[in-house]
Amino acid sequence: MTSSEGSTPARRFPDPYSIATPEGAQGWEDMYPYYNRFLESRRDRDSARTWFRNGMHFPEPMPPFDIVTSDSAFMSTGVMNTRVFALPPALGIDVRVLNGYVYMSANGVENPEEIGRRAEEFAVRVGYYYQNWPDIYAKWEAKVRAEIAKLQAITIPELGEFEPVADVLANRGVTSSNDFLVAYQAILASLDAAWNLHSELLNMGYAAYLNFLMILRGHFPEISDQSVAKMVSGVEVLLFRPDDELKKLAALAIELDLTGRFASGRLDSLRADLAESGAGQQWNAAYDESADPWFNFSYGNGFYHHHRSWSDDPTFPLTIIVEYIGRLQNNEDLSRPLEAVSTERDAVVDRYRSLLDAEDVQAFDEALGLSRVVFPYVENHNFFIEHWYMTKFWNKMRELSEVFVRFGFFANVDDIFFMRRAEVGDALVDVQMSWCGGGQPLGPDYWPSIIEERRRIHAALKRWTPPPALGPAPAEIVEPMTIMLWGITDDQVKSWLDAQSGDGVVRVLSGFAGSPGVAEGPARVVMSPGDLDFLVDGEILVAPITSPSWTPVFARIKGAVSDIGGIMCHASIVSREYGLPAVVGTGTATATIKTGQIIRVDGDKGIVTILSDS
Amino acid sequence: MTYIRHFRDLRLADRPEVGGKCASLGELIHAGIEVPNGFAVTASAFEAFRDQGTLRDDLKHIVRSVDPSRSSVLEAAHAAASGLVAATPIPHDVVDQIVAAYGELCDLTGDEALPVAVRSSGISEDGAVTSFAGQQETYLWVVGARDVIDRVRACWASLYTPQAIAYRSQLPEEVAFEATLISVGVQAMVDAEVAGVAFTVSPRTGDRSVMAINASWGLGQAVVSGEVTPDEYWLSKVGLEVTSSTIAHKTMQCLPSSTGQGVTTVPVPDDQQDVACLAPESIRELAEIAIRVEQHYGCPQDIEWARARATSAGPARIVLLQSRPETSWKKRQAESRAKTGSSAAASYLSVIRNAGAGVRKA
Repeated sequence: MTSSEGSTPARRFPDPYSIATPEGAQGWEDMYPYYNRFLESRRDRDSARTWFRNGMHFPEPMPPFDIVTSDSAFMSTGVMNTRVFALPPALGIDVRVLNGYVYMSANGVENPEEIGRRAEEFAVRVGYYYQNWPDIYAKWEAKVRAEIAKLQAITIPELGEFEPVADVLANRGVTSSNDFLVAYQAILASLDAAWNLHSELLNMGYAAYLNFLMILRGHFPEISDQSVAKMVSGVEVLLFRPDDELKKLAALAIELDLTGRFASGRLDSLRADLAESGAGQQWNAAYDESADPWFNFSYGNGFYHHHRSWSDDPTFPLTIIVEYIGRLQNNEDLSRPLEAVSTERDAVVDRYRSLLDAEDVQAFDEALGLSRVVFPYVENHNFFIEHWYMTKFWNKMRELSEVFVRFGFFANVDDIFFMRRAEVGDALVDVQMSWCGGGQPLGPDYWPSIIEERRRIHAALKRWTPPPALGPAPAEIVEPMTIMLWGITDDQVKSWLDAQSGDGVVRVLSGFAGSPGVAEGPARVVMSPGDLDFLVDGEILVAPITSPSWTPVFARIKGAVSDIGGIMCHASIVSREYGLPAVVGTGTATATIKTGQIIRVDGDKGIVTILSDS
Repeated sequence: MTYIRHFRDLRLADRPEVGGKCASLGELIHAGIEVPNGFAVTASAFEAFRDQGTLRDDLKHIVRSVDPSRSSVLEAAHAAASGLVAATPIPHDVVDQIVAAYGELCDLTGDEALPVAVRSSGISEDGAVTSFAGQQETYLWVVGARDVIDRVRACWASLYTPQAIAYRSQLPEEVAFEATLISVGVQAMVDAEVAGVAFTVSPRTGDRSVMAINASWGLGQAVVSGEVTPDEYWLSKVGLEVTSSTIAHKTMQCLPSSTGQGVTTVPVPDDQQDVACLAPESIRELAEIAIRVEQHYGCPQDIEWARARATSAGPARIVLLQSRPETSWKKRQAESRAKTGSSAAASYLSVIRNAGAGVRKA
């Protein structure tokens, strides 16, 4: 993706080895495995590479266990590029964690002979996938549903006083102690498989999109990313489905004449109240049907254990249902302007198509056709894996953690996420030893102080602002996949470099024009889903990255700004859908903009301006 | 013999007789685009002029016998040839027809001293011929039939600048002759409050979905000749949104001279120097016209336009002064493509194209 080796670029990002540990975070290195760290013994090699921060997927410092999501995601995207499809010029990504934040550096192929060899393999493999895509996609959905079912079917053994007698009378031989070990291994193996599936179609989907993008750029070098996105994106995407379910439930409450019972607050007390009448039971049943799977919808991006989902904490969906009931009662039309969106999409396609020479039209149509074939997957995979699967995954880990709580390792089930994956394995052996031998586990005398210390370190890391990149500035970013997936362009790199040498007073931020239009208003900086509670109608949302589960709040804001993301990120997709201006991938908006400042979002140019301080 | 053709009667096919500029103005009128009235003094008029006496052979002899490497020789040839063009009377038929056509134009506009622009209109399709062979002359704010005739003659004489003589002396005789075929356009002046050029293709990259407009105060001369830095507006032709605009510091403008004849360059009033000279609705109006012209011709256009001042006769409005095909966009598009597409990307994108061929959404 970058070519930095062998040249001596004039400008540099900070050297990873020269970055100090944030105040109060001494000892952070112990929270992460060696294979994720900048090792002193590799200083010469790792210092010479450019590392980009992956704030898109990992906006926060990683809790020690949660690094499994980085491992799985990068392994999976890597193996698909490198070994499954043999993408000719791009392999996978090397990952390092610095002060808790994830950085990445791509492995490329430069040898033309190797590229040629890979191109031959690639043609066979990707050709098969493209030619059979709808069929493969249908099977893919079935595989993911099966994987989710498999994960849910993993039973954590009880580890009671005696083994179940039935097992003994069946002379099973193998014990619950072994089941416990196997359960943990099965959870990890399932995660790995789910992420393999996540990446199975993703990069090839993006490659098809990229092909269309490059064809368009060939004819229209100045075409905006959003125009391209507009031509390709699906009108009906799953990420809107949970929000649509809320609207449906609101309408049902009106239809069943239950609205008097509805108020924001606790869902369980509402449900208990409703359960007393037939109509109420009908609504409860409808809710259950919507909730699984559609409310397995993370408040964040699913990569962190604490990004709980709507089904874990239904406060937000209930608030929105109440709001939708009010709006429906005011005769507001809550439906999304699907027809207008698809009419506009067709008009834009026709206009560009009409500017092409006749001999170029076929290639344009084919590339657009392929993009539209692959796009349902590209847009929908996120719900299946990041939201649905990961909601179940974190909860399965909590189930496992209850065993440790029962054995006195710690009091809070979420403490398990402050152990590394290998340490959980060690603790598991500790439990096995004590349960098998009737002795005492050592964990309760070992883990609590470590976990407490790590929670403190993690909080200190949260207060640190990671630089957008490390190491030598790349000479030129040419690999289109990098540009598209990560939003990293030459211009972006330049603005990061300029920002670090600036006078510290930044009034203008630039990013990607994610959705057109211009809006001015007070900023609301939302660092985590909890901050959404403070959001007031008419504010401009400023967030590291937005989550699809925040979709309903887009009906209340005037514009959106994100640190991370390109034209296909959720903030862009949802903003276009709602006709709001959005500037995404600014790098530093949440660090620069303060809540209450009046800002202007120019979604035509990709510029955010701080106009005044209040 | 007819030596005059009205723009309204012309189509592109008339180029051999009236030159590219005049033919294209006729074509624009036909396409329903507003252009100032006017007429072409045809190529036959110049032929009739040089068919008098030995003028044709004398001029040819002067051009064919120079040593183009010697500037003193070229200067002498220029002096001799333009002396001949100046001294030879214009045939009565030609003079009478120009006087009548100018008179008609005056009647039509209700201005008996109608200011006009007199401009060379080259016959050749080859841009190099028109630029090197002396077919680029323009005289603005010419008033009265007598002056119009003088300027027509001046356009003919401009075929004999030292550079034009040097250029043609090197061409094969047949080609050199074709390079002297010339018509002259006479077009009512537009009292432009703002003027400039518009490209219906990106001059930067050859992107056909992009349009660029340059605009500055006063007559377009200053923009075309590069004397001022104009405001720059970039638009996407899809949706006609302005994607970027750069408002220049505009200090000078070209206006009709206070003598009533010719033009003069004067300072722009302080309060106008840094303001946009085109309002958004004018940009849109111009863009819509430019797209109509492009669609009429079926290829990108390089357009000269002006926004005429409001008069008692009507509000301010945009008119086109000229439109010609923009010919270099394919080349620029290819260059830009080469710059953005890496070879690494090309290696798999072509595979994807093959692999995905024929896949359509059901």
